Amino acid sequence: MSFVLHGIGVSGGIAIGRAQLVSHATLEVAHYSIVPEQVHSEIERLSHAMRTVQKELESLHGTMTASDAPAEFGAFLDVHWMILTDPTLHEAPKRTIAEQLCNAEWALTQQLGVLIEQFDSIEDPYLRERKADVVHVVERVLKVLMGRPGPVRPSQEHAILVAHDLSPADVIQFKNKHFAAFLTDLGGVTSHTAIVARSLNVPAVVATHNARALIRENEMLIVDGARNVVIVNPDHSVLAEYRLRQEEFELELAKLRRLRTTPATTLDGCRVELNANIELPEDLEPAIENGASGVGLFRTEFLFLNRDGLPSEDEQFEAYRAVAAGMKGRPVTIRTFDLGADKHKEGLDGLTRVAPNPALGLRAVRFCLAEPRLFLTQLRAILRASPYGKVKILLPMLSSVGEIEQALALIAQAKEALREQKIAFDAGIEVGGMIEIPAAVLSMGAFASRLDFLSIGTNDLIQYTLAVDRADDAVSQLYDALHPAVIKLIALAISSASKAGVPIAVCGEMAGDVRFTRLLLGMGLLDFSMHPAHVLAVKQRVLTSELAAARAIVARMRRTDEPAKLVALLARLNA
Amino acid sequence: MLPRYLRVPVCYLRINMQTRLVKLTNRFGLHARASARVVAVASRFRCSISLIWNGRRASARSMLAVMLLAAGVGATIRVETSGPDETEAMTAMVQLIADRFGEER
Repeated sequence: MSFVLHGIGVSGGIAIGRAQLVSHATLEVAHYSIVPEQVHSEIERLSHAMRTVQKELESLHGTMTASDAPAEFGAFLDVHWMILTDPTLHEAPKRTIAEQLCNAEWALTQQLGVLIEQFDSIEDPYLRERKADVVHVVERVLKVLMGRPGPVRPSQEHAILVAHDLSPADVIQFKNKHFAAFLTDLGGVTSHTAIVARSLNVPAVVATHNARALIRENEMLIVDGARNVVIVNPDHSVLAEYRLRQEEFELELAKLRRLRTTPATTLDGCRVELNANIELPEDLEPAIENGASGVGLFRTEFLFLNRDGLPSEDEQFEAYRAVAAGMKGRPVTIRTFDLGADKHKEGLDGLTRVAPNPALGLRAVRFCLAEPRLFLTQLRAILRASPYGKVKILLPMLSSVGEIEQALALIAQAKEALREQKIAFDAGIEVGGMIEIPAAVLSMGAFASRLDFLSIGTNDLIQYTLAVDRADDAVSQLYDALHPAVIKLIALAISSASKAGVPIAVCGEMAGDVRFTRLLLGMGLLDFSMHPAHVLAVKQRVLTSELAAARAIVARMRRTDEPAKLVALLARLNA
Repeated sequence: MLPRYLRVPVCYLRINMQTRLVKLTNRFGLHARASARVVAVASRFRCSISLIWNGRRASARSMLAVMLLAAGVGATIRVETSGPDETEAMTAMVQLIADRFGEER
């Protein structure tokens, strides 16, 4: 039966393909197939995870009996230990792996489902609820398994990923995996699924609420990101219509590709820098392919995610050197790691605690300053890479002069140490700061006098200005780049920086959104940094824009507090 | 090696088997912690130990099986032990259940 689901289209384009469901236990578990030669190693992966959890429980038990914790806790751990070591929990998944050629996580989740069903049929309510212990144990094992994630990859060509929700760590796995589209039950315009889908130029519809439950594995889907709809099991005429639309869309893309080497200049002859945001050294290739003039934002925290332990200085140095050298003298702005809030790293003590309000907690530069050892390691790696290209350092989430001064002192300390060890680095390396907190915009003078350049992170600036958690589906509709306060803050930041003679860029999502290109140009912005996939579309926009005309309309936009008027003026600007 | 016709399946040799009916008098029956005690006691013996209730049989060595037996308070379960130390195992099991799994009352 054909039906239509509505959601929020967060990345345009049309995808036609078959559904690949991501299982939903309490944890998102992916299902993928393995080849017969992998059966042995997959079973070993499962056994290893179970042994790891067993050791965890045993060491917990050790600390329990050593201290005078209540006997209850010890008994609880005994129960979990026994569930874990019960062959009933291992044998079936191992058979499933061998027989169905699937991954360990999936096999284990299947067995959990079988056990839950048995528990649910128990009449005694007290005994029935003990399934919670089994779920807890299985989740522990799943966490270990997924901390060492097996590859999630499309089961076929044009696979469309359907999940309840995706975390940043999930999402980064999907890079270079060539899914045709993403669908999630939760999420908003600025959720991670959205950001990654846009960056991959793949259509995505989020906040579908129950897509994961309604769509079955392998069902035919049409995802239309621009029109916010998903058509499940389309009939022939609909399918034909959409195939036509898809072709038209791809034709447009092909036209854009011809702009690759064209310089980004406005109609009135003003040169604009279009840089790329990258997350890993591999992203350099698309950046160059799309004609980016440099790297405006290298988000180094992705070097820390999805791995065991922390990257060493040498490992980081290799990554930074590869990017610096790869850009062949064009600027590479390396942002020091922005961990915390929604990007967690297990094993960093400062981050394992659950902050009451992570977005306002110990993250980004605050975390760097609280963990100077980690920060210095990164700074040394960046400095060592600096002779290989034109490297700049960017400090995230500055809110006060004190933070700038502490960070600068640590940079000086790292330089001094390298000098003593006679290791080469660029002594004149530029240090800039992210403007993502309203407080920073309102005290720009102090920032501009201490830093060599500035970069506006619009995603966080909007989040902090409007007090809206962009990852929270319940309030994400309040997240509005076109809020009068946001427009005023961005305009103020750009004009104060220009007045102080400090270069300023925008590296948030707004920079890569063609609806805002003229708005930012009109504010006086000449340096954009965005995902490589957007460079050409923004360039096309720049080529057809006239600075003087944009300035006049933007001046009026800065003066109004009426959202409707802003929308009307933006439409005129983009006409 | 015995000639083929003299080889008998092992189970026929084990004609001895202990069986006892025991009533669960502890607070919640075979809940998680009580099940854990059963498994802990069973693991001390070499013989096979089964609990049978409501037409289902659970190996006393399997935590999940004992939990899923779902024998609630007041249930009368059958304990079967069979193997070299079946008598000792039976004594220990019956004792454990009679002691209400060590719970306070």
